[in-house]
Amino acid sequence: MINDICIGMAGSGGDGIVAAGEALLNSAAAAGYHGMLTKSFGPQIRGGESSCRLRISTQPVLNPGSELDVAVALNWDDFLKFGSELPTDARSIVIYEESAKTPDGKLPLKIAPGEAIAVPIAAIARAHGGDRAKNTVVLGLLSAWFGLAPESILAGMRKRLKKKGPEVIAAAEQAFQAGADHARANPLKTARLMAPPAARQGVWLADGNDLTAAAAIVAGCDFFGGYPITPSTEIMQTLSRDIWAYGGSLLQCEDEIAGIGACVGASFGGKRAMTATSGPGMSLKTEMLGLATIAELPLVVVNVQRGGPATGLPTKLEQADLFQACYSGHGDAVRPVLAPTSVADAFRVTVDAFNIAEEFQTPVIVLSDQEISQRKETLEPIDTSTVQLVERRRPTPEDLAGGYKRFKLTPDGISPISHPGLAGGEYLAAGIEHNESGAPASGGANHQRMTEKRIGKFAPLLKRRELFLVEGDADADLGIISWGSSAGICREAVQTVRQEGLKVRILVPYLLYPVAEEIFSDFLKGLTKGLVVEQSYQGQLYRILRSFITVPNGVRPYCRAGANPFRPSEIVAQIRALAQRSVP
Amino acid sequence: MSGACNDPKTFKSDLKPIWCPGCGDFGVLQAVYRALAAIGRPTHEIAFISGIGCSSRIPGYTTVYGFNTVHGRALPIAQGLKTANPDLLVLVAGGDGDGFSIGGGHVPHAIRRNHDLTYIVMDNQIYGLTKGQLSPTTPKGETTVTSPYGSFEEPVNPLLYCLAYGAGYVAQGTPADLPGLTALIEEGLRYPGFAFINIQSPCVTYGDSEMQMKEQRAALRPLLAEGHDGSDRIKGMDLAQQYGRTLHTGVFYRNPTPPPTYDQLVRERQADQGKDQPDRRRALDRFAVRH
Ligand SMILES: Cc1ncc(C[n+]2csc(CCOP(=O)(O)OP(=O)(O)O)c2C)c(N)n1
Ligand code: SF4
Ligand SMILES: [Mg+2]
Repeated sequence: MINDICIGMAGSGGDGIVAAGEALLNSAAAAGYHGMLTKSFGPQIRGGESSCRLRISTQPVLNPGSELDVAVALNWDDFLKFGSELPTDARSIVIYEESAKTPDGKLPLKIAPGEAIAVPIAAIARAHGGDRAKNTVVLGLLSAWFGLAPESILAGMRKRLKKKGPEVIAAAEQAFQAGADHARANPLKTARLMAPPAARQGVWLADGNDLTAAAAIVAGCDFFGGYPITPSTEIMQTLSRDIWAYGGSLLQCEDEIAGIGACVGASFGGKRAMTATSGPGMSLKTEMLGLATIAELPLVVVNVQRGGPATGLPTKLEQADLFQACYSGHGDAVRPVLAPTSVADAFRVTVDAFNIAEEFQTPVIVLSDQEISQRKETLEPIDTSTVQLVERRRPTPEDLAGGYKRFKLTPDGISPISHPGLAGGEYLAAGIEHNESGAPASGGANHQRMTEKRIGKFAPLLKRRELFLVEGDADADLGIISWGSSAGICREAVQTVRQEGLKVRILVPYLLYPVAEEIFSDFLKGLTKGLVVEQSYQGQLYRILRSFITVPNGVRPYCRAGANPFRPSEIVAQIRALAQRSVP
Repeated sequence: MSGACNDPKTFKSDLKPIWCPGCGDFGVLQAVYRALAAIGRPTHEIAFISGIGCSSRIPGYTTVYGFNTVHGRALPIAQGLKTANPDLLVLVAGGDGDGFSIGGGHVPHAIRRNHDLTYIVMDNQIYGLTKGQLSPTTPKGETTVTSPYGSFEEPVNPLLYCLAYGAGYVAQGTPADLPGLTALIEEGLRYPGFAFINIQSPCVTYGDSEMQMKEQRAALRPLLAEGHDGSDRIKGMDLAQQYGRTLHTGVFYRNPTPPPTYDQLVRERQADQGKDQPDRRRALDRFAVRH
């Protein structure tokens, strides 16, 4: 019996391979398995090649997995286009369409797989409902060979096809059975059946964008302003459907400048506001972030990172917008930057972002990424009844009784903030440097005090250890730091090598900026070697850390450009090699 | 707030304007005080949003909630504010550069969305704050510090621009006719929808000598006197073509049957979707897997 399986499938647009992956994940989740689905498409708007990676496990999973245990190729051209996204190795079982055999009968794979099985998938489909049934045949094959929740798959199928009538359901069931029959008639050389899942109390399934939008609702988001851009658009789409019911509102603006501008306006009006975008849109929003910083207006800005400068790689994973998030914009300005590491995290990070924005009267940047935004993941049910919402500090009647000072210098740097509609709280908000009352002021002493206030107010944030995850051996001399979706890969790798007896610890920051120097330094204390793992060519977090704190020489960046994701197996190999190396 | 809502003085703040003596914007400010007094809403229910420029300093000189934002972006900020807080009276201001150069791309969208906003542009055909560069409304051939050989460009026509995109209220005034300007701003504030008022506000320091107060007074051509009452949009557009040549003041167009505003549609949508008063804490329930 096996406890964990990684399946990669590819076909052309009409093959419904992604739909099959979704159906399988749904059914596995309903049966009680943990799992995760990532999808990848060719550059075509519709049609073209499509693929998915599915990981199903009896244990919680932190990432899409390493090399594929099972690869399904409906045709080789499409499969090979996904390259390193669908990696096979000598252990993989490769299932491929029989008619797609190459002329010399050899598989077009660099490493010979453990087992290669040609299946007349198209022929079986044609005998049971036609070409469109190919993906259902694949489901039958997978469920029988790997013991994957056949009852649950059938139940899901019946539910999905309910509207189409009994005949369609019967045909689909036949196609599924035909696939399963074929598998039973042709058993694997070595059986690999999934162990049954443990009983679970409810399972949730979500992708990052959808959960971010729903989290915003829970976090009290009253207003969303934005402009569509891949891979962030679903956040706006979901909110444009849901936000009204809670008394909120939304503007799809003419560009990203207007999108964040509308949020700045709504926040000035006392409302909790959010915008979401990706790299190019983030670049456009820069000036407005500065305005929100100097006017001290709360605001959440989600950047679902994609790859490259300019248009770059709109549908691929990269973590290269950290410099931008921390440093874009002119003047001395500090803006908190948070990053989720998984779909499940998207909930807490979104709620934290709203709370930090409101508490510290600041824009907060959430650095999500393409993978988290699009991947579907099982989660434990989230208890929203315990969520605490932080409100911005409102003026007291005394504050308002004559001479209200919007930017009053307080011991903690946070001034009570009024909003239009509140009598006695009238003030001038401005992008111009101002004195405590809000009147324009260009003197150096005032500018020094106000800058100190706007930056100094974040001091308590740097002490929040709950915004950091530390796992592993406190006495290790080898450590890993990783953030965003790479962190889930590293956490699994650390678990694996610790089971082998290596001593390692890992730090995962949810708060990336301002740099919590003490927390990072505490973690690095005693380390002689380690890796900062991130999907960016320059190793942006590594470089930022180096500019704030002393990083031991043996702790090195492990990074590369996007669209070529790390795998747990790769990080495991890196850690093993590092553990062997003696550091002078 | 101290003072009565129908007293113009109530709206005057203690901040001393930085404008050059004789700047047309002083007159615009007076007209704003008077128009707000005529409307009579308390200062805390009013928000005054501007961009950047000499003209954009104006909110600071009032006692209402002001926001002096960034160059060219007053309209998006005002739309977000108004969408989220539809009960506020929202006034937006800026210069010709702010509104029709850097912010020009926002104007059509503000108009077509039809928020209930009143947008006043202090059109001095020059960049005042940055000391006299070519603006999008500078007449062709005019010499400025960045067009020392005379401008090569045709100017934007702000009136036609807003009429063409379908603004429900389009007017032009000047501080040279203060009562007339006050009435136009008041009417714009009362118009239920997007209202645009182009104000020929002379820049005494860098502006064209032909466009100063005295010269304007001599050149005034009230539209009413021309028999145009503002109800005919096509006629209004025809008259607006004379922008830059004839100093028309008054209402070019006022939609006699104003369509619903964006804010109204938002409220309807909220009422409809929110009938069952859903609980925000249940927003995650839909992620539960059920077969
Ligand atoms: C993004 C940006 N670009 C340029 C400027 C510099 N700038 C400030 S005001 C202005 C033009 C002002 O002209 P106008 O909008 O007509 O206002 P006026 O001063 O004439 O009232 C410029 C170019 C700026 N503040 N921000
Ligand atoms: S430069 Fe011109 S627009 Fe600016 S304050 Fe002086 S006169 Fe007025
Ligand atoms: Mg100007």
